[in-house]
Amino acid sequence: MNKDVIVTKNISKTYGKGDVKVHALRRTSINITLGDYIAIIGPSGSGKSTFMNLIGCLDKPSSGKLFIDGTDVSQLNENQLATIRREKIGFIFQKYNLIPTLNALENVSLSMSFAGVKNKERLKRAEKLLGMVDLSKRMLHKPSELSGGEQQRVAIARALSNDPSIILADEPTGNVDTKSGSRIMGILEDINNKGETVITVTHDPNIAKRAKRILKIQDGVVSEENA
Amino acid sequence: MLKDNFNLAYKNIRERMSRSILTLLGIAIGIMAITSLMAIGEGMQDAVTGELSSLSDTIIVTTGEGISTSSMGMGGGISLSEDNGEYLTERDIADIQRIHGVKDVNTQLSSIGIARYNGEDVSVYIIGMETEPMELKYGLEDIESGSLLKEGDKNKIVIGYDVAHEYFDTDVYIGGRIKINGKKFVVNGIFAKQGGGSISPTSNVILLTLGDFKKLTGESNIRSATVKVYDIDEVDSIAEKIEQEINENHGEDDYATATTMSSILESIQSVIGIMQMVLLAIASIALVVASIGIMNTMLTSVMERTHDIGIMKAIGATNKDVMLIFIIEGILVSVVGGTFGILFGIFGSQAISALMARSGMGGGITLIPVITMTSVGLAVGVSILVGILSSLYPAWKAARMSPIEAVRYE
Ligand SMILES: Nc1ncnc2c1ncn2[C@@H]1O[C@H](COP(=O)(O)OP(=O)(O)OP(=O)(O)O)[C@@H](O)[C@H]1O
Ligand SMILES: [Mg+2]
Repeated sequence: MNKDVIVTKNISKTYGKGDVKVHALRRTSINITLGDYIAIIGPSGSGKSTFMNLIGCLDKPSSGKLFIDGTDVSQLNENQLATIRREKIGFIFQKYNLIPTLNALENVSLSMSFAGVKNKERLKRAEKLLGMVDLSKRMLHKPSELSGGEQQRVAIARALSNDPSIILADEPTGNVDTKSGSRIMGILEDINNKGETVITVTHDPNIAKRAKRILKIQDGVVSEENA
Repeated sequence: MLKDNFNLAYKNIRERMSRSILTLLGIAIGIMAITSLMAIGEGMQDAVTGELSSLSDTIIVTTGEGISTSSMGMGGGISLSEDNGEYLTERDIADIQRIHGVKDVNTQLSSIGIARYNGEDVSVYIIGMETEPMELKYGLEDIESGSLLKEGDKNKIVIGYDVAHEYFDTDVYIGGRIKINGKKFVVNGIFAKQGGGSISPTSNVILLTLGDFKKLTGESNIRSATVKVYDIDEVDSIAEKIEQEINENHGEDDYATATTMSSILESIQSVIGIMQMVLLAIASIALVVASIGIMNTMLTSVMERTHDIGIMKAIGATNKDVMLIFIIEGILVSVVGGTFGILFGIFGSQAISALMARSGMGGGITLIPVITMTSVGLAVGVSILVGILSSLYPAWKAARMSPIEAVRYE
């Protein structure tokens, strides 16, 4: 039996107050185990991103508890949260979110620099990761000189750079064509096959079908969908 | 880590080149002001100290208040106070001579006279002195052309540089004839152009033998005496004794003042010191303005990079990491600006001193700007400090941003 890497206990998220109050996520309790491959589906505005941002420690829940690798992150200060994001989580965004002034190699290396990895080792590892996503020939290109699919592969390399146990991808194929999309999903499946936990938000039922578990979110309510 | 911060900072600066250059220019001007002011101040100290310290064995004895250095602006020279009708007597001079440690005493008589040359009248400061002390007092380097007066010379004069070249419509040459108070004299020598801070200003004087002076003016009033001592360490105690002796002779408490060079030097240095402080204060204002410029640029840059900062935090940057990135950017801008400022300052001070020399400002002081390691160090230090201080607030603002900014889109 694999251990739980993410445990949520009654977490909820509300935005705004009074008339404009939005219940983006309602009391959700869920366990995600190491090595899981989870697809999150649901209509637009249902709370998928809200959920991802919470378990990615980008945002704090309005109530409830969140455990990452057994640590109650709702108790952590900003510095400790940064450490969790750096060491345990690799986030892949819909809009790639690369630093525009840095080239591919530097972008991948940046997150390792926050972890204090030595320059030489960092470059070696960044080159290896970019090779893994088939970008050896694009290492010195800036984001503006790369296609959407290529940028997303740089982002995947970056997410993997500090060797996290959880990979979160919020609509990683949302901004690329089908061919690039299936290539990206292929990489994510490879990562999952190596034992990492992968959670991805998708609108594509075909992609969702290939996951081990499917979570459906509707109006902020999370439910398990039997695959 | 640091290397990456530099890389990031450098790329951000380059990304916003024209804005960065303007910010850089602000700091460069501030640092330039500081560097050049310090160089000129240092040069001024050197010029004055150099000229005066060779006279550290000298005491000037005068009646009344003594020597005024208050008029020491940019090398106006040292002048005797107003003629107060009190004079030194032969007995005073003899008493000074007898004080232990005194090497010799020079006296000189002085008055104001009317000099006529080519039909033009000007008023001049005339000095009469024995030929022997004259040779002791003035050296070859003080003479531009001709020579000093010799024992037995009659109706011959040595004139100041300004008297020769400025006072009359036409320049006066050796052998020229000048009438003083109606009496004819032949120019035997012309003093050279003088640096400021000289103890015996020569530029506007006419020098006569003591005999000629007495005949011309009928005066024999001694207003001042120049005393040389054997041992520089004794100069202050001897000055005190001289005052005592003379005051006793005249039965008056403040009849005479004996001023040592070191005290003159001190007061001049304090005047220069104050001047430097004022100039530095002005330069600091330039720096404050420059640092506001940096702060403004960086705040704008923080706002523009909200998304990037969010990304960095989302991938694990701590508040400290983010702060460091911006502080290093601030330091980089101000140190590069400061380096240009130092270079501009070195050339600028050279230009200023050249300009001053050409325009005759500064009373002929040959001011060589001095760039010391201290002033360069200070300029670099100030740049770094300005960089840190002005980026602190923007960096703090950046650090406080939430990682959620990474996923917030317009
Ligand atoms: N910062 C915010 N302030 C106020 N309301 C917000 C904020 N972020 C999200 N919401 C609201 O919360 C709800 C859930 O948003 P969320 O982004 O999680 O949806 P989503 O499922 O990711 O949608 P999509 O498929 O379009 O990306 C929406 O109604 C949205 O308007
Ligand atoms: Mg979303």
